[in-house]
Amino acid sequence: MPVLKNIAAIAKGMSITFMEMFQPTTVENYPDGKGPLRGARFEARFRGAHVLQRDENGLEKCVACFLCAANCPSNCIYIEAADNTAEHRVSGAERYAKVYNIDYNRCIFCGYCVEACPTDAITHGHGFELATFNASNLVYRKEQMLASRPAHMGANVVFNQADVDGGAPKEMVAGS
Amino acid sequence: MADVTLTVDGKKVTAPAGTLLIEACKTVGIEVPSFCYYPNLSLQGACRMCLVKIEKMPKLQTACTTVISEGMIVTSDSEEIKQARKSMLEMLLGNHPLDCPVCDAGGECELQDMTFSYGAAESKFMEAKNHKDEQQWSPVVFFDRPRCILCYRCVRVCGEGMDVWALGVQNRGVSSIIAPNKEDHLECEECGMCIDICPVGALTSGAYRYKTRPWEMKHVGTICTHCGDGCKTTLGVRRADTGMEIVRGDNRDKSGTNGDFLCIKGRYAFDFANHEERLTQPLIRKEGKLTPATWEEAFQLIGKKFAEVRDRDGGSAIGVIGSTRTTNEESYLLSKFARMVLKTNNVDHHRTADFPAFAAALRGKADATASMADVFTAPAILLIGNDPTEQHPLLAWQIRNNVRLHRSRLYVINSQAIKLRRQATNFMQIPAGAEGKVAAFLAGDDAAADAIINSSSTKDQWNSLRDTLRGEQNLVIAFGSEILGSDLSSLVTFGSAIAGAKFVCLADYANSRGAADMGLYPDLLPGYHPISGSSEFHTEWGEIPQAAGLDLSGMVEAASTNKLKALYVVGSNPIGRLKIDSFAFSNSFVVVQDMFLTETAVVADVALPAANAYEKSGTFTNTCGDLQLVKKAGEVTGTKADFEMIVRIADAMGFDVRKLVPIGGGTHADMGQSRGAQSGEADRHAVWLEAHGLEPKLSPFDPMAILDEIQRLVPGYDVSRMNLLAGNSQHTSLAKAGPGVAHRPESISPANDTLFSSGTLGHYSRALKSVMESHEVKPAEVAAD
Amino acid sequence: MASLVSHPDEVKVVTRRFGLGATNIDRYLELDGYKAVQKALGMDADAIINEVKNSGLRGRGGAGFSTGMKWSFVPKQSAKPKYVLCNGDESEPGTCKDRLIFEHDPHAVIEGVMIGGLAVGARSGYIYIRGEYRYLSIIMQKAIRDAYAKGFLGKNIFGSGRDFDIYWHGGAGAYEVGEESALMESLEGKRGIPRIRPPFPAVVGLWGGPTVINNAETLASVPHIMLGGAEWYAKIGPPKNGGTRLFCLSGNVAKPGVYELPMGYSLKKMIYEVGGGIPNGRSLKAVVPGGSSTPCLTADEIDINMDFDSVAKAGSMLGSGGVVVLDDQQCIVKFALRTMKFYQHESCGWCIPCREGTDWLKKTLIRFHSGGGVKKDIDNMQYLSENMLGRTFCPLGDAAAMPTIAFVKKFRKEFEDHLDGRPCPYEKAGVAEEMEALSH
Repeated sequence: MPVLKNIAAIAKGMSITFMEMFQPTTVENYPDGKGPLRGARFEARFRGAHVLQRDENGLEKCVACFLCAANCPSNCIYIEAADNTAEHRVSGAERYAKVYNIDYNRCIFCGYCVEACPTDAITHGHGFELATFNASNLVYRKEQMLASRPAHMGANVVFNQADVDGGAPKEMVAGS
Repeated sequence: MADVTLTVDGKKVTAPAGTLLIEACKTVGIEVPSFCYYPNLSLQGACRMCLVKIEKMPKLQTACTTVISEGMIVTSDSEEIKQARKSMLEMLLGNHPLDCPVCDAGGECELQDMTFSYGAAESKFMEAKNHKDEQQWSPVVFFDRPRCILCYRCVRVCGEGMDVWALGVQNRGVSSIIAPNKEDHLECEECGMCIDICPVGALTSGAYRYKTRPWEMKHVGTICTHCGDGCKTTLGVRRADTGMEIVRGDNRDKSGTNGDFLCIKGRYAFDFANHEERLTQPLIRKEGKLTPATWEEAFQLIGKKFAEVRDRDGGSAIGVIGSTRTTNEESYLLSKFARMVLKTNNVDHHRTADFPAFAAALRGKADATASMADVFTAPAILLIGNDPTEQHPLLAWQIRNNVRLHRSRLYVINSQAIKLRRQATNFMQIPAGAEGKVAAFLAGDDAAADAIINSSSTKDQWNSLRDTLRGEQNLVIAFGSEILGSDLSSLVTFGSAIAGAKFVCLADYANSRGAADMGLYPDLLPGYHPISGSSEFHTEWGEIPQAAGLDLSGMVEAASTNKLKALYVVGSNPIGRLKIDSFAFSNSFVVVQDMFLTETAVVADVALPAANAYEKSGTFTNTCGDLQLVKKAGEVTGTKADFEMIVRIADAMGFDVRKLVPIGGGTHADMGQSRGAQSGEADRHAVWLEAHGLEPKLSPFDPMAILDEIQRLVPGYDVSRMNLLAGNSQHTSLAKAGPGVAHRPESISPANDTLFSSGTLGHYSRALKSVMESHEVKPAEVAAD
Repeated sequence: MASLVSHPDEVKVVTRRFGLGATNIDRYLELDGYKAVQKALGMDADAIINEVKNSGLRGRGGAGFSTGMKWSFVPKQSAKPKYVLCNGDESEPGTCKDRLIFEHDPHAVIEGVMIGGLAVGARSGYIYIRGEYRYLSIIMQKAIRDAYAKGFLGKNIFGSGRDFDIYWHGGAGAYEVGEESALMESLEGKRGIPRIRPPFPAVVGLWGGPTVINNAETLASVPHIMLGGAEWYAKIGPPKNGGTRLFCLSGNVAKPGVYELPMGYSLKKMIYEVGGGIPNGRSLKAVVPGGSSTPCLTADEIDINMDFDSVAKAGSMLGSGGVVVLDDQQCIVKFALRTMKFYQHESCGWCIPCREGTDWLKKTLIRFHSGGGVKKDIDNMQYLSENMLGRTFCPLGDAAAMPTIAFVKKFRKEFEDHLDGRPCPYEKAGVAEEMEALSH
């Protein structure tokens, strides 16, 4: 009885359809959800916009070794290095990144830069709302990617000799 | 020497007796790692990386100190050896700071490479590393002690190679430290060889420090633009706002005649190119002031003026001064432009040696000039005049190391106690200015002896020296600009009697020899053909003025009587360098092509911003006559090569530039196919075509088009194009040069540059000025150990 | 002057004139002085070499190479002058024999150098004295001056028509310079760093000339051989190990001192009879048989004869004759640390394994002894030492590695007792003070 068999198959299939119809929806409610992420949820390993980390002293971890740029398959990282001085110390080592740009027009979020980083300075954050109407906005500067300073040190201050010598922390000028 | 056969890892190796095992292994492609071993420096056996197993020897042996012997059986790759190498690296890395991410050597560090190939993945040590702060030894040399692995290469190259002995070892054991000669700083020749030879990042360059990373740069091996020796320097260039910035000079490319050698100028003094006073737009004098203008405006003005003067007052009212630092192609083009377009023979340049007399003396003598490479291998060298340590650092290096490594005999005759006397078998001091008499004496004029004898020498000594020299074979005779004219021909007469003798005539600037060879003379065409005569140039170039023109002093005189209506100065600064009155050319229309507003450029009516030799392609001929390729490395936006400017001026004068630059020739190669292939393949194809003169020259700004003509017409320049393009130096011969003409001795004025000065370029080099030796009294010589 | 000790088993050859005022040249002459060299002047060079060869005299510096053989390697003809060097740079911890020779019998050394010179055809000799032995160099200088005054040195010595000069040279305090080629560098006024071999000193040595270099004790033995005859000398010791040896007995023995005993004397007897045994009723833990660079022997291993071959068979070396005895209250880790401190300080820094290896061993041992050790350290120390052994530029690296390997292998238990932050089990108190002192 092929006809009956076919009807049974259809009924079985439709039963699943009808059953699912009354289940609660499992689709992410982005962007209409609650909270700062507006309903988006991530796995911890999600590779979003980069964050440039600071060390426990609030100094930038990046020492401008260029390994991320060398490793980048889409060649989207641009760095200019400069020397730390006793008066103006930005990173923990002899050198820091004066300019650190990532061009998100080209970035493919492969994470090779994170792999390459010898000082764990560059990491993937969870930033994902990068869309813009103007491509030039997609070139992120260091100041846009830098992690904020630890709370006890006050936000956005440059750690320099004046701080150590007892002077008041200066507001960061560039890019703030 | 007889050959010896041995077995390494089962492979038969045959090498001359006396070869070191490490070198013998290299010949069959077996790499034996080492830090302290460096070819041509004394053996150390200190790093213990090259340990190999030799049968019948109880312990592992160092391949760098073992001389091969017949039937030796060597294992270079066993578990025991791997373990030895691994543990050696473990111990080294124990105290190494591992700050590779910020180390300038990161990416080109031998310790990194070795650790990658042979090292252990993790450290066994828990204790704190020994640390010492970084030291600055001089503006250009930094020393980071913890990174030092104590291979002593720097100590040896400074002492043995440079004969400076500025570095040494202090303390002992784990506190051993490389130390500079003046407690906390260096006083030396600042050559920076210690930095280049350092296998790690312990010695780093002050000029390049923390600027970028090796893989971020493009590396261009080109010829140094300072002295006349023609060292190859590798310029590291990086993208910058103003074009391509040169950030480093070093010796990465060891393919030049200079091998490991570079002096302070070749290594650091590229910084004039990035000097903020560089001209980057044409300037035209308007209402007494030099005002920025467009290129088009400038060329039109120059073309109009030059044509006007030529047509009204004749070509002889125009003077042309060429450069000793432009390429051969540019000098040749300028010479041709002056004669064909400007119709003038008033052509000159800053002469620093009497090449016309040299060419005339050597005419018809094959193999009579020594290449820079010959100086390193000659069994005997006679040096008269000059101080190569200061003025020809590479020549000095070649001589020094020839004496050290090949036991060559060096005879030095000088009015000063120059440093090379330390290597000399025989040093004779003469009264100042008596060099010419020496030539006469050597040539057999015994009466001249009285003029060369001083308190330190006797007539007998001179006679015996002359006899000794006559008994030498393959003697290289190098002489400075003190010897000119008839003295020069006497010297050649003397030398020609010695079997295999070869000559080197020392001139001061990077392409002084090229400027002379390319005929930047009022009375000579390229190849030392007199203007009043017949040569291929007379036929090829068509109608050119036949009477000899004015030399530089003639032009100054003509200008003073208002007979010189226009002056075209290409890459030269006669007012600054030759002490000519700044107002000498007030009534002439002066066009200057230069990098900076030099003393000459400030009085110009039109000043054009020129590119320097690091920013263009072409060829240079060094003082020995070695032809080498100059490659474009840097770029400063807003400048043009002199070549292009000359062509543009000719064009603005309404001249058919095809007659000036032979373009459009060559066979009709299938360009599409060649360009469309894989990039590497296309490059090789283009190189092959170029090397065989088959590449069509399509641009009037292509120096290669002129090189074709130079190689076709200038005697001695018909060298292998393939070798030239490959970056090798190609020796040119003067055997078939023209007869030359006699010049006044006063027309030659040596540059008298030292290791720390370099004419106008030196004036704009901060690196040269930064070192204390450039402005303070030089330190006393240090005894050679 | 150090007081002298003696024991009935001693055979006085080199020490024959000790305590008899032989520093005075006239007294020395009364005691058969300068007879040997006069005898040698009457012999041809080969005969002298053969005599020394037949005596079985082996280098007393530590390596134990046949002295006669060494002399025979020097080429007969040489364009450059030949030299004889006396190595008096005695710096091995536990060894103090050359010091007594210089102090009591300096002329014997001079005589030995002269005979060596006659044997190899040298016309000058150098006596190199350890920098710290400054007071001995005064004695030596006087002896040389006296010998010149008598016409024994200088032009036409003993009216033989031959010339011989001797110079003394003081070191500047480097153990490394005890190595023969480093000593030559030091003599030439350079840093005391060993040379690459080949060429060997016998062919290219001091100032590039053929050079023979011997320990002070070796050279001081030579005059006695010349006078007593090779056969007599050879018979004192066992075959191939001729003569007597100065043993410097130190550490936990009742009667420490320098004893001249025949080669092949029993180590057990040396400790318990000559040295008078271990005091305070303690028992033996270990013996270092030939100076600090030789691997130690445990109490079970001491039943051996003290000649080059027997000690080698027992896995150690006769070395320079410094016998250091440790009783059961001594901490081996501390002893290893003390030893390594010495080598780390004395490493010349030329080659990587010795320079870095000794430093890491010292650092590790300091931490280890103060209770900061972990189990892995024990293997690491052995690993490090084994990787130094045989791979250094000169034997100093081996000298540091060999005893360390022996300590770790033979006394592993004692190392393990220091683990887990436990204080040194042998250290009664004051570990902190000790560490303070050691860290300097």
